[in-house]
Amino acid sequence: MTTMRKINLLPLVALILTIMVFALCFINELSWAALEQSEARKTVREVIGLPSIALGTNYGATRNPLLEVYSTALYDVPGGYCYIYTTSFIGWPMSDPNFFEKVPGFNFTAMKG
Amino acid sequence: MLKRHRNFFHYALDCLKKYKTRTFVVLIAFTIAISMLSSILFLKDGLEREAELSVSLAPDITVSYLQGGRVLLLPSSYIDKASEIKGVVRALPRIWGYDGKGLNTYTVRGLDLSGVEVDYGFSNLVKKGRFLVPEDAGTGSIVIGELLAGVLKVDVGDTMILLSESIEANRFTVVGIFSSETTIYTADLIVMPIDDARKFFKIPEGYVTDMIIYTDPEVPVDNVAAELSTMPNARVLTKDILLRGYKAAYGGRGGFLVTFWVILLSAVALVCFSQATIVGRESMFEVGLLKTFGFTTLDIIEIRLIESLILGVFSASLGMVIGIVYDIWFKAGIFAQSLLGWAFLPAEFHMPVYVSFPSVFSLYAVTVLPLLFATTVPAWLNAITDPELAMRRAAA
Repeated sequence: MTTMRKINLLPLVALILTIMVFALCFINELSWAALEQSEARKTVREVIGLPSIALGTNYGATRNPLLEVYSTALYDVPGGYCYIYTTSFIGWPMSDPNFFEKVPGFNFTAMKG
Repeated sequence: MLKRHRNFFHYALDCLKKYKTRTFVVLIAFTIAISMLSSILFLKDGLEREAELSVSLAPDITVSYLQGGRVLLLPSSYIDKASEIKGVVRALPRIWGYDGKGLNTYTVRGLDLSGVEVDYGFSNLVKKGRFLVPEDAGTGSIVIGELLAGVLKVDVGDTMILLSESIEANRFTVVGIFSSETTIYTADLIVMPIDDARKFFKIPEGYVTDMIIYTDPEVPVDNVAAELSTMPNARVLTKDILLRGYKAAYGGRGGFLVTFWVILLSAVALVCFSQATIVGRESMFEVGLLKTFGFTTLDIIEIRLIESLILGVFSASLGMVIGIVYDIWFKAGIFAQSLLGWAFLPAEFHMPVYVSFPSVFSLYAVTVLPLLFATTVPAWLNAITDPELAMRRAAA
């Protein structure tokens, strides 16, 4: 009878750990699928209408209903724009192509002289 | 043929044992780097997935009022105007804001109970007491989150005094505590009838904080949003924009940290390359000897590939298991704080962790591929050297 050498355990443990990672991945996917079906969470989101997660933050931009992100971009002091959140998704309704392309006759006009 | 590869496999294992220092350095370095990287990645994915989930059930459109580029109260007349727009099924007023209690800020939400449909099954919303009913208007009844109940040590039937911005003490009675299942949304929440919230925030009649719009599924949301945008001073936010906001908020921070750890991982790969080169000099004699016995260059590269593969898979898997354990059982400690900025994370709060298959495969790819490259190149350089020359150089 041959005894297993210690070094042979390395690939064996590697295999077990890999199986464990994929098992955890699968379990995690299942738990997320269950969360998606959670009636209580659906109800709270639909009834209370708060789309953001509760982090009890002292920084408005990370607490619900996320609109604070947009407000923070405009900030509270003259000239005090928050440069973290401005640009890409912050804008006036009329500056968003999704909106102004659908408004008939919308245009900016300028006159020289 | 199979026996030949099995022999290579056993020989590779012997090499791992023989060059203990290299094996140890590679294992430790890669395990630490991958555990940190996976912890951030799974946390970032969890926050993004939770955001997607929550936004999917949020109102289709939210309208706030801008003047001079700043958010002000929305005139209630906008609700009637919005209701007349084609595609709008329901337009509801909202009054919400924040209230400081101790060092923390809590969210106060006024709920228009007449606009809430009763068939939602409120019993699963609360773990103790009951949810608000239309008769609660003006009575000072509130439903609070589990975290808040724990921090303030209040229970159903207890009275809470909240100080508003107008420095007035307002007395409220807790009629219910939100269930644990909804903690991620309700931990710090105080829900009260909309009229009570108006009184609490001193919002004048005829104004609300903002309004939410539910649209007809057959009418494109963007069309309704475009129509709403024609109302003066209206800032129109669709679900899609909210989701983009979330991704920018959490994804941006996550991206910064992931980049940092990928740079570290590259540094680790360079260390491995260096180790492989040092060991390569030590094993030069051995390679020369193997080639004298008839091993080809490909055989030697195969042996090194097997070594790297075992080390890479072992360290990546172990690193990921550590990352998952750190996220779930230790609540991600330092990384959660970095991802969430100045967020206050209470002990009761569990971070959403999403271990997705694409992330797992990506992590294996960023570990195993650089390691294969870092160790195979020195092995190949050794293997293509003339065996006699290699042994002479090694002996010198």
